[in-house]
Amino acid sequence: MSAQLTNIQPRSQPVDIGKEVASFSPEVEAEIDSHLEKYPVMRSAILPLMFIVQRERGYLDPPGVAYLAKRLSLRITDIWEVATFYSMLHIEPVGKHHIQICKTLSCKIMGEPRITEHVCNRLGINPGETTPDGKFTVSLVECLGSCGTAPMFQIGFDYYEDLTTAKVDQILDSLT
Amino acid sequence: MFIGAIGCEPLQLRRVLLDNSRTLAVYRQNGGYEALRTVLTTRSPDDVINEVKKSALRGRGGAGFPTGMKWSFVPKDSPKPKYVVCNADESEPGTFKDRYLMERDPHLLIEGMLIAAYALGAKTNYIYTRGEYRYLIDIMDEALAEARAGGFLGKNILGTDFSSEIYTHTGAGAYICGEETALLSSLEGMRGHPRMKPPFPAISGLYACPTVVNNVETLTAVPDIIKMGGEAYQKLGTEKSGGTKLWSVSGHVNRPGVYELPMGYDDMEKFIMMDCQGIRDNKNLKAVIPGGSSVYIMRADDIIGKDVRMDYEGIVAAGSMVGSGGFIVMDETVDVFESTKNLTEFYKHESCGWCTPCREGTDWLVKVFQRVANGGGRPEDVQLLLDLCDNIEGKSFCPLGDAAAWPIQSAIKRFPEDFRKHLVN
Amino acid sequence: MSAEPIKVTINNREFEVPKGARLIDVCRDKGFDIPSFCYYADLALQASCRMCLVRIDKMPKLQTSCTVICTDGMVVTTESDEIEKAQRSMLEFLLANHPLDCPVCDRGGECELQEMTFDWGNLEERFTEEKNYHPERFLSPIVANDPQRCILCKRCTRVCDEWMGEDAIEAGGRGAHTVIGTYGGWLDCSQCGNCIEVCPTGTLLDGTYRHQARPWELAQTISTCTFCSDGCQASIGSRSGEVMRVVARDRYVNGINGEFLCIKGRFGHPFVNHEKRLRTPLIRYRKDGELIPATWDDAIRHVAQRLDAIDADHGSNSIGVIGSPRITNEANFVLHKFATELVGTENFTATDAFSLSAFFANLGGQLATHRDIRYASTIVLIGGEPEELQPLTGKQIRQAVRNGGAKLIVINAVPIRLVEQAAQFIHIAPGSEDAAVLAIAGEDGDGLAPKLGVELSALLTLRQTLAESQGDLIFMFGSELSAEAQIVMAQMPQTMAAEGRRVLLHPLPLYNNSIGAHDMGLMAGAMNARKMLAAAGQAIRAIYIAGSFLREDLRDHAESFSKLDFLVVQELFETETTAFADVVLPAASFAEVDGTFTNNDGLVQRVRQSIPPVHQSKADWMITAQLAAELGVDFGYQLSSSAVFSAIAADVPAYSGLRYPLLRDESSPIQVKHPISDRRDLTPILRAIRERVEGLLEAGPKIPDTPGVGHELFKIGTLTDKVPQFHLLAAGNPRPDSVSISPLYQITVDAKLRLEGVLPD
Ligand SMILES: Cc1cc2nc3c(=O)[nH]c(=O)nc-3n(C[C@H](O)[C@H](O)[C@H](O)COP(=O)(O)O)c2cc1C
Ligand code: SF4
Ligand code: FES
Repeated sequence: MSAQLTNIQPRSQPVDIGKEVASFSPEVEAEIDSHLEKYPVMRSAILPLMFIVQRERGYLDPPGVAYLAKRLSLRITDIWEVATFYSMLHIEPVGKHHIQICKTLSCKIMGEPRITEHVCNRLGINPGETTPDGKFTVSLVECLGSCGTAPMFQIGFDYYEDLTTAKVDQILDSLT
Repeated sequence: MFIGAIGCEPLQLRRVLLDNSRTLAVYRQNGGYEALRTVLTTRSPDDVINEVKKSALRGRGGAGFPTGMKWSFVPKDSPKPKYVVCNADESEPGTFKDRYLMERDPHLLIEGMLIAAYALGAKTNYIYTRGEYRYLIDIMDEALAEARAGGFLGKNILGTDFSSEIYTHTGAGAYICGEETALLSSLEGMRGHPRMKPPFPAISGLYACPTVVNNVETLTAVPDIIKMGGEAYQKLGTEKSGGTKLWSVSGHVNRPGVYELPMGYDDMEKFIMMDCQGIRDNKNLKAVIPGGSSVYIMRADDIIGKDVRMDYEGIVAAGSMVGSGGFIVMDETVDVFESTKNLTEFYKHESCGWCTPCREGTDWLVKVFQRVANGGGRPEDVQLLLDLCDNIEGKSFCPLGDAAAWPIQSAIKRFPEDFRKHLVN
Repeated sequence: MSAEPIKVTINNREFEVPKGARLIDVCRDKGFDIPSFCYYADLALQASCRMCLVRIDKMPKLQTSCTVICTDGMVVTTESDEIEKAQRSMLEFLLANHPLDCPVCDRGGECELQEMTFDWGNLEERFTEEKNYHPERFLSPIVANDPQRCILCKRCTRVCDEWMGEDAIEAGGRGAHTVIGTYGGWLDCSQCGNCIEVCPTGTLLDGTYRHQARPWELAQTISTCTFCSDGCQASIGSRSGEVMRVVARDRYVNGINGEFLCIKGRFGHPFVNHEKRLRTPLIRYRKDGELIPATWDDAIRHVAQRLDAIDADHGSNSIGVIGSPRITNEANFVLHKFATELVGTENFTATDAFSLSAFFANLGGQLATHRDIRYASTIVLIGGEPEELQPLTGKQIRQAVRNGGAKLIVINAVPIRLVEQAAQFIHIAPGSEDAAVLAIAGEDGDGLAPKLGVELSALLTLRQTLAESQGDLIFMFGSELSAEAQIVMAQMPQTMAAEGRRVLLHPLPLYNNSIGAHDMGLMAGAMNARKMLAAAGQAIRAIYIAGSFLREDLRDHAESFSKLDFLVVQELFETETTAFADVVLPAASFAEVDGTFTNNDGLVQRVRQSIPPVHQSKADWMITAQLAAELGVDFGYQLSSSAVFSAIAADVPAYSGLRYPLLRDESSPIQVKHPISDRRDLTPILRAIRERVEGLLEAGPKIPDTPGVGHELFKIGTLTDKVPQFHLLAAGNPRPDSVSISPLYQITVDAKLRLEGVLPD
């Protein structure tokens, strides 16, 4: 939908719902309702809902996308255009533990390359790749707001700061 | 990591080191929600706006726009609902102050937002937090629930007839969503593209309704302005830059952290060498990016012995900007060509892709940087980089394009040797 | 936009311009060339290409003239070194990752990016880095896509959303990785191809025409679309007697539809040169014998003799003459003349089940043009589904609402897609449209609500909206309305007239020349086609028909044919009707003739010959004239269709004074002057409707679902049957195993799909 249009058009019917539509437990549905209640326009809840679908299904898989279109009365394309804009949303599968190493200036000069090398050697993959068992994905990401405690990475939503290779080993060992 | 005030009584950081600082109880024991009570019971919305005007508070998000003036643009008579939106997208490389304010003192932000909401007549307000800060959203939600239970939020706040709600909202990984109009697009569930200005958000913002977007640090300054009065707050700083400012210090200093300094703090050298305890491994200072990745890079000799005053005017005079106060310190081991390449890659990754110069320009710039880094540098590349920057600067749809050009222009101007050495061959 | 003038200075020259004018339009209007890609009139502003930069005094940066509204005393510079550098650099940026493969690009020769590059000239190529790569692919059987050529002006996504309301194609990804596309890479939509049309580069291309011709090889002929009653203007691109493509690019044609066309108008043309076109006249000498090729002379003589004989034995009224809402005014006029003056039968008509005779006989005001619709303030749509049956009208309605803030009221038994745009949707019971008309006419609601199956409050809201409406109030209606209800509608301009309000009418007939067929008098005959079929063998002995009978009429009266003594058919193809014909005469299609169509605005627009008649076919009116000559009457048109049109102007009051030269410019079409009747006393008519409505039972179950995009558009008719892509779409647009593009490969009906039984053989 064109960003500059002032009157936001609510959709009556998504025209192209996918064949299979995801479904969720009553608890999750309730959580989704709690987000929808925050906004006068349903579409506003698209990002919170995408995170929920991602949490529940690992990534924005086709049934999940179809669910979002249906729940928000949007076109499939509306879901796709948004999902592909934001770097934290995935329409392709990612590893169970998504290790996101900050590569921006402060982390870079404070030892990010050392950390990245160590993580990649341990897991035997390059940045951007996922281990064959689907357990780990390593990504290099932009500034995560931990410049004062660099170097750092985020696994899922958890921050790990002031990293040393020893600390990285502990962390990775603790992950199942 | 250090967190505290230097050269003044801690104001916004007053509570951050207390135990359980994020609970309502501790907040109230330390004067919490008093400003809100004063405002709701004894002040008119206009009084509040005037107080903020007197305080000479300038936006802490990066643009430094006078906050009181911004508030006064909101049309009082508009029949549409009004919104206060807190910009907690904090994605400017080198900036991490908002994070600690929300983590340690969430009620301060709530109180600040409610005062703004009262001044502008907003019934619904949103805190737009970058998606990576999920744990802060949880903290804010807890605090909001506490405030609601305590009668400080929601219907008939503090028994008055003023009602206003605050909701958290999550971003999902996009620096551009820190730009206020892109933030609003994102909050409406769209791709995070900036919008045309005019109309400015104050006239037509969220859902095409009057909206004020303010940074976390800006809003958290408001309760103290009410408490001590605009003039007093202003006097903490300088005439044009009132109050105190948070600096997020990172890089090669011995004591990185979040520092609260009075505006006009003298001087930058002292700040680095004493307060931040100097450069790590007694190396020499080489460069400083004082205001987040988007501002001009400074040479050590623009700082050493130049007593650079740390406020909007002082740092401009010294050849850079306060920006978001993301203070990145680099020692002699840093190759400014490399650091500039790193930031350019950041801007390419974060360009929203809406407009030609930024989308294509940052892509091109990065390709040149990478070719040069891989030994394919040519003598004319410096000229090429400068010309590409010139073709982006001032022609992009939103300021991100400029933000991508400035670091390169200043780096080439101030550290030509670092570029030259990559090109000889 | 108020018209009070203000002063602006451009390049040191002062101009008076209307207040509220947009700077880019003003500059261009005053002859200063401003380059742009993303700016497109009447679409949401984008300001993303940054080509249109100008200098405005007292402003710090260069400004995008597409976003600036002129203010009094504004001083503008559009030409300077600074501006040229800026604009050149934008172009350089756009070309950086562009493959520069014009020689193999179908858009080469009509590409805005290519032209702008040539205009600027001597751009040194400074970009020596590796280009970002995206593979070419098909997005659908009709849309081919080369993302690497994209400049992200987003015209395509905006027309898809704002014109079509489909939002099927969007920008995905971010920054330099932004690509126009769809989720899963397959395009499910009405396949209108407007995204292809507005694309300034070779990014979105006609997948049915890939590498078939270069634009400069094509003769461009401006003509009127032959599919629906909207009458879009298009440019037919032909090469050596073959229609290669149909487009509406503004560089060739500038009609009521701008660059808009629907799937039929743009991709329906392959029937013209289809191998199944009739090649020669055919005669069936024995009733159950074969149709045997014959010469024109034999065929015409044969027909003349038989008609003479039947006339002699059974009288002239035993001969039925049937025209068509698909053929030109000229053809229908000559048929009408043939029937009334030569044969002298009362039994003539046209194959259109939706007669507007009652409507026009009581017409109380003007017909709304598509432009009126775009700028209307209130639109009431009763029945019909414009988006599928009159797509341009559908688009105008949507833009009136979205860009113009008009109020749309949809009254329909089906929750059609346009409901999305409606301020009020009155979901009525099937078959109760007439009751809705009563409600609008102000009849008591309590009685009507239960018949309609709606709340009384809904009707009250409706009436209030109508009562309060200011500006243009437009009533549209579909074929669901009875003749009486049409009369009530026709009188609305009289009954609803009020200060500050203009009431306009917009009927929604089904065919490209329904209104013309009416104007030529064919709908005024004693029997309609259905009745004639029923009377076959008794009152009706012979039928002379241009085109074929409607499917449903045939289905109900198949046996009637055998009872006819004689059937003459003018057709493009063999059809269910020709199967029973005694003589079949090969007619020329719209692309092969000169003439006129009259659209649902009442605009009479030119049809122009793009290619010579295929095989031995002839223009319908020439065949009729030749037959008349054989019967001893020379209509005296020689071989000139403009002579026929002059005759129309002389005989048909609404067309008086018109000549082809007056219709030359498609950008200023002429509305025919349908006679306006004075105010009628509607009491008897309303009573008649009321009685019928009271006959209705209480409203039963409603139709719950919104029909899918294309449920009418993709239906296979005699013409669309000849286009493979329509079969794919009718079969649900199955995604092929590979969407990657090889130079000459087209997605078309392949054996696999046939085997799977998805498609007919
Ligand atoms: C590219 C870009 C990124 C920005 N990012 C942020 C941000 O992360 N946080 C923020 O508070 N302001 C950011 N801003 C500034 C906002 O646009 C806006 O000026 C600010 O939120 C207004 O609040 P303030 O007046 O309190 O500073 C950004 C601006 C631009 C152009
Ligand atoms: S400058 Fe253009 S492309 Fe870059 S972020 Fe702003 S709008 Fe997007
Ligand atoms: S036409 Fe103005 S920015 Fe594209």
